[in-house]
Amino acid sequence: MSDIDIELISVRKTYGNALVVGDISLSIPKGEFVSLLGPSGCGKTTTLNMIAGFQQPTGGEIRIRGRNQAGVPPEKRNIGLVFQNYALFPHMTVAENVAFGLRMKGAPRAEIDQTVNTALKSVHLEGFEAHYPKELSGGQQQRTALARAIAPRPSVLLLDEPLSNLDLKLREAMRVELKEIQQQLAMTFVYVTHDQEEAMAMSDRVVVMSGGVIAQEDKPENIYNAPRTSFVADFIGKSNILPVSAVRATGDQREITINHSNISLAVGSDQAGPPAARFCCIRPEDVRIIGGEAFAEGANVLDGTISKIVNLGAHLDLWVTVDRDITIKALVRSSRSDQLKTGNHVSISIAPAAIRLLHE
Amino acid sequence: MNRLLSGLFWISLCLILAFITLPLLVVVAASLSPSSMVTFSPADWTMKWYAALWASKWLDPFILSVKIAVIVSLVSGVLGALGAYAVAYEKCPGSEAIMAFLLSPLAVPQIVKGVAIVLFLSSAGLYTLLGTPGLIAGHIVLTLPFAARMIATSIYNFDKNLDRAAQILGASKWQRVRHILLPLIKPGLFSGMTFAFIISFNNIPLSVFLVRPGQTTLPITVINYMEYSLDPVLAAVNVASLIFILTTIFLFEKLGGFSAQIHGGSK
Amino acid sequence: MTIVATDSPAAPALRRFALRGYVPLFPPFAVLLLFFAVPIGMMIGISFQDPKTAQFSLGSYQRFLTDGLIIAGLFRTILMSGLVAICVTVMAYPVAYFLARSTSRWRAIVFALAIAPELAGVVLRTYGWLIILEDRGFVNDALIWLGLVSSPLPLAKNLFGVVVGLTHVVLPFGILALLTSIQGIDPNIEKAAQILGASRLSVIRHILLPLSIPGTVSSLLISFTMAASAYATPALLGGARFKVLATMISEQIMFYINWPMAAVMAIVLLVLMLAITFAGGRVETRLHKKLNV
Ligand SMILES: Nc1ncnc2c1ncn2[C@@H]1O[C@H](COP(=O)(O)OP(=O)(O)OP(=O)(O)O)[C@@H](O)[C@H]1O
Ligand SMILES: [Mg+2]
Repeated sequence: MSDIDIELISVRKTYGNALVVGDISLSIPKGEFVSLLGPSGCGKTTTLNMIAGFQQPTGGEIRIRGRNQAGVPPEKRNIGLVFQNYALFPHMTVAENVAFGLRMKGAPRAEIDQTVNTALKSVHLEGFEAHYPKELSGGQQQRTALARAIAPRPSVLLLDEPLSNLDLKLREAMRVELKEIQQQLAMTFVYVTHDQEEAMAMSDRVVVMSGGVIAQEDKPENIYNAPRTSFVADFIGKSNILPVSAVRATGDQREITINHSNISLAVGSDQAGPPAARFCCIRPEDVRIIGGEAFAEGANVLDGTISKIVNLGAHLDLWVTVDRDITIKALVRSSRSDQLKTGNHVSISIAPAAIRLLHE
Repeated sequence: MNRLLSGLFWISLCLILAFITLPLLVVVAASLSPSSMVTFSPADWTMKWYAALWASKWLDPFILSVKIAVIVSLVSGVLGALGAYAVAYEKCPGSEAIMAFLLSPLAVPQIVKGVAIVLFLSSAGLYTLLGTPGLIAGHIVLTLPFAARMIATSIYNFDKNLDRAAQILGASKWQRVRHILLPLIKPGLFSGMTFAFIISFNNIPLSVFLVRPGQTTLPITVINYMEYSLDPVLAAVNVASLIFILTTIFLFEKLGGFSAQIHGGSK
Repeated sequence: MTIVATDSPAAPALRRFALRGYVPLFPPFAVLLLFFAVPIGMMIGISFQDPKTAQFSLGSYQRFLTDGLIIAGLFRTILMSGLVAICVTVMAYPVAYFLARSTSRWRAIVFALAIAPELAGVVLRTYGWLIILEDRGFVNDALIWLGLVSSPLPLAKNLFGVVVGLTHVVLPFGILALLTSIQGIDPNIEKAAQILGASRLSVIRHILLPLSIPGTVSSLLISFTMAASAYATPALLGGARFKVLATMISEQIMFYINWPMAAVMAIVLLVLMLAITFAGGRVETRLHKKLNV
């Protein structure tokens, strides 16, 4: 309670009959980097706009630092916002853009100059004070937008896909910088993205959204290693998701049968998988291709045919058909490309611990 | 403060919209009122002023106006299409200067164009052209730039790859113009012609110099009458011609489908 | 093209092709030459003739500059057009802003209301204003009936009536000019200012107004030029006492049958329009550069 910066309590948003955000509850502690991650149209921007105050929730409550925000206009919320298209003021220089927030608060001249300098320094834009936005590169505009948002020292910074207009190299560099700035300022960041790598790389916590609701909310490593639904498993990283027809427990051991096939797989006992599991998830990098040598102890072994090979550079994406309709994807190092050809018969092994049971 | 401001905004928006609609509503009410006292109570309304329109005093100018507007619309459609074709499709050298010349009448106030044409016809001894021929010529000068600009815009928006696709399939130039270009720029052509029709039908500043007794367009007949009296029959004439214009637009729309242009019909 | 055209055998063919491209231009050019360019040229010629003898004379220009009534008419035209330009732009702004930003279903209705009167033609609207504003009209009847005034207020047949009527005629064009400009301003820019703490008023002052200056200027320009060259509205709503250049021109043609004087007045009006359009265009490009938009 003490250090919760933002709290969403059963927040909903509908447009006519269309449910855009349904029942989101979330609390974000001070100084945390939280990502809202989800496919296009799942309601991320809408959620952000409701926190900022540009849209009013149809139901539920939004609290910032413990205060209900109903009826509080955006300009009174003391929040920073970085837009996807930056929304820099075209008729103002970089320095004027960054100074705008403080000017609106009526800060004294000297303080404004001081803060503008610090903000520009922290985004490495010294020397660009007198430039107009259109004279800047995309990356520089991005930094200006960031400096403008942090200059008034908001308690919370909202970022709506701020890196999506940058090229890959710059995007990766900015991830590191953004994280550094966040830690330096000890500011709460709510970061909207549909890029899972971005979310994984920066966040303390990832909130995966789907169709307007939260699908899973956890630390990045848990989201990846222990997805709770097939949607999360599929959306985060690559995965084999197979339908499960039956789960049998024999003593300590669990065994599952894959739907429409004779395949049975042993599942790790440590995993308190739901008895009524309907899917299982296997990460491609957990699927080993074995060429004659001894099997790992206790692993599930399946025979199959390589039906497709996709070269990804460092790795090969291997599609192995193990039963009529069942194809399991495996990720192997490209150095093995000589031995692996389409049509080859191979055996694959999957450790029981690598199989996760999912109930939806 | 914010609430006050947005309150002011909505109030001013409503007042401005009321300002825009007020004269139209008043004219409609006047055309239905039994006397020159305008009444807004539907119980008292009468159609007698509309019945009075069925007289040659109003019908003759109406028919002349329609005749002129139809001819003007067709001719400026054809001339505009020819000009736009040369400029936007053939892109002949100097096309910018040519377009500037085609659009130049727009820079000259209508009343000045009117004076120029009437002085030209009078001093060149072409008095006989005053009336219908002069009106048609004057209106074409007025509407041709609009038509040329609208058609040129739709040719510019025309995807040149469609033309190339037809060419590689063996279509000759004429076949491509006939089967690819024309159907795709039809909305632009029709909106240009509709525009020409409306401008011609409603025109005053040019027509006022070019009419002659017995060959007077409807708007000029109305304003001449208005100088003496504000008879409600005038309201009926005005409402009737507005209805006529709206019907015409509707018909042109059915024929040419220019609203499809807004929805990307020419793409 | 230029390389081939030097003296290769292909050159004549090319020239023939190039000429063929111009053929469709003949009909529209002929019409514009005969009924636009030549008449304008003749009008300029006639302006230098003596009204009686048709000899060369600068008399009409001299008279334009010295006749107090004519000069008064010129200034009346400028005053009237300036007032209309201001009224139109001030009234068009809220409507254009609403049309640019609203997503509600009212938007289509407001758009139709704002633009549709343009189809009705000037006569209908002027007639409407006449029955609203004249001495025994709508407004005066109501005021007298309410006992607010004892004798009718002079609302028509003067500057007031003409400015009201012309504002109504020109308003849709002002709305369109401002709409284009405001639509070009990213709504996120307004949101960005708001989240940085700017009140509605500050957003308007620091963001909206500066960024829509080009639209405002083009609305002022188009309103001024349309008002200055309007004929029917001043003729009907201004009456015999309120004369502007456009109505004085028709008077010269139809009552005084003084062609040179009419030509001179038309040329003055034309030059006024061209000068304002040119200067306005310069200001607009300058603003675009300055505002970096
Ligand atoms: N004003 C509106 N009226 C009706 N539906 C809307 C409105 N605004 C958004 N939506 C719908 O709400 C859903 C969520 O929109 P939102 O912009 O929040 O998605 P998003 O998660 O940010 O997607 P993206 O990654 O593409 O930006 C979409 O399906 C959209 O069509
Ligand atoms: Mg979004």
